[in-house]
Amino acid sequence: MVSRRAVVAGAVGASVAAAGGAVGYRAWRDREPASPPVHDSEGRLLWRNWSGIQSAYPSERAAPDSEDALVGVLKSAPHPIRPVGAGHSFTALVPTGGTLLTLDRMSGVIDHDGAKLHATVRAGTRLGDLGPALAAIGQEMPNLPDINKQSLGGALGTGTHGTGRAFKAMHGEVTAFRIATPRGDVIACDRTTNADVFHAARVNLGAFGVISEVTIQNRPLKRVLKRTTGRQLGEVIEEWPSLISQHRNVEFYAIPFTGLAALITVDETDKPVSPRGPDTDADAVMELKALRDVAGFLPAVRRGLAQSAFKDLPPDEAVDEGWKLLSNERPVRFNEMEYHLPLERQMVALREVIAAIEKHRADVFFPIEARVIDGDDAWLSPFHDRVCGSIAVHAYYKDDYSFLFDLVEPILRRHGGRPHWGKLHSLKYADFATLYPRFRDAVAVREMLDPEGRMLNDHLRTVFHNG
Amino acid sequence: MKRTILAFVVFVAACSPAAPKRTAEEAAAYALSIKPTDARLGDLYAQSCRTCHTVADTGAPLTGDAASWAPRWKKGMPALLSSTVGGLNGMPAGGQCFSCTPKDYEALIRFMAGHES
Repeated sequence: MVSRRAVVAGAVGASVAAAGGAVGYRAWRDREPASPPVHDSEGRLLWRNWSGIQSAYPSERAAPDSEDALVGVLKSAPHPIRPVGAGHSFTALVPTGGTLLTLDRMSGVIDHDGAKLHATVRAGTRLGDLGPALAAIGQEMPNLPDINKQSLGGALGTGTHGTGRAFKAMHGEVTAFRIATPRGDVIACDRTTNADVFHAARVNLGAFGVISEVTIQNRPLKRVLKRTTGRQLGEVIEEWPSLISQHRNVEFYAIPFTGLAALITVDETDKPVSPRGPDTDADAVMELKALRDVAGFLPAVRRGLAQSAFKDLPPDEAVDEGWKLLSNERPVRFNEMEYHLPLERQMVALREVIAAIEKHRADVFFPIEARVIDGDDAWLSPFHDRVCGSIAVHAYYKDDYSFLFDLVEPILRRHGGRPHWGKLHSLKYADFATLYPRFRDAVAVREMLDPEGRMLNDHLRTVFHNG
Repeated sequence: MKRTILAFVVFVAACSPAAPKRTAEEAAAYALSIKPTDARLGDLYAQSCRTCHTVADTGAPLTGDAASWAPRWKKGMPALLSSTVGGLNGMPAGGQCFSCTPKDYEALIRFMAGHES
């Protein structure tokens, strides 16, 4: 181990010396992106999303504490009325000069059915709080996203997902919900009651009204073994079809310019609890950045250093309840594009994406995430009627992310991908009408629930209005 | 993307003076043990600040950890408020508290920095 560290240290040090003239450039590139003013000229407070690329100055901020209060806001507050969860969407779902609406005061588990393994939860509940709350009643959501800061309503509304061949995205396990509308009513729906609303608004972009509470089909709380293994990228890509059938949850991160991958598997186990150690992902990402900074102009050195550092590295294992292991802290901010492709196209597209980045964008260092998600029947679900393999490409929040649109998106679209609603994409109404067989039906339901368009901001008009 | 994805992490750990683990654990335990006495502020804190400022892995200065907060406190409240609302490094804009007013942010900063009085 010591010798490996020495190899990396020596090589990086040599590269730093050789690249001394670039230090000034690197410092310039590492500057913090400028923030808009805290207040605008009218004294309104700034809102920005998690990554910092979306911003607005809402004229009002509403935090209702009941369904009645929520209806009151939707009926009469200045519009556009835009619900916000944790602000993790990269697309412009939230920006508004009207009303910014948070459900932070409408959170917690309301009821549960131990026999059916159902739990009814207020939509403002943060996923990080939902895990322990469900564990307390012997239940779990077996498929959680990579980050758990989001609100339940925001996660469902954008089609947020985890990974696992046998698992649907989070909205796929919703059995019923109540949605408050700008018309001033509250609609309870499930597969038999107000079924059109149920199918159209399970994934809703916060554009149909606001879901106040949700009933989720959960599973019995399980202990799982999470294993993270450094592997050769080519091997993991070849094994992917068998990996997704062998493991309960499985994903991998392809690390561009290294030929390496981090394979993460999660399986149920009876082993004794062995809690996860301190999270070192952020350090790992910043070391990838350091490698980019000093060896980005020397691809062979960059790859050689990474390969040397990985040699004989043992797997990392943790055993605990799933909600403690499936999600991660992500203190290094980034921008992201993710598309969901027909599973059989996923690895072909991934190879093309990696090749394109390695040919054209030596500045990219963030790992590329590959996951698998079962299909469902929500009309606006990116997983509608098909099993999907997802590809998520990231850019450090201080870095240029235009390559996501110029280089990556054309590949993902060519392979039949549908974009994550909360992640960067350039698609419009006509594109969605082609990609989603029930898109126009969903649009009709949205217009029935919000006939005056009180929920629509500029971005959402490009999604739901033709032309 | 856990720790084994890169030995670079090990490299950094080997080259960096590690903080005493026990002290970090104690700081995290203390952060988890306190909350604002004002009920409304306590709710805002629980929904937003607490999710990062009680978890060492996030890199955020832990609530009540005077050593971590001292260099930040020196910047002055206007600068801290600006960083909070606009975001800075790992700190997401608004601290993910979107019903907080500027006075709420100031009160929460004072609480976390141990300068309530």
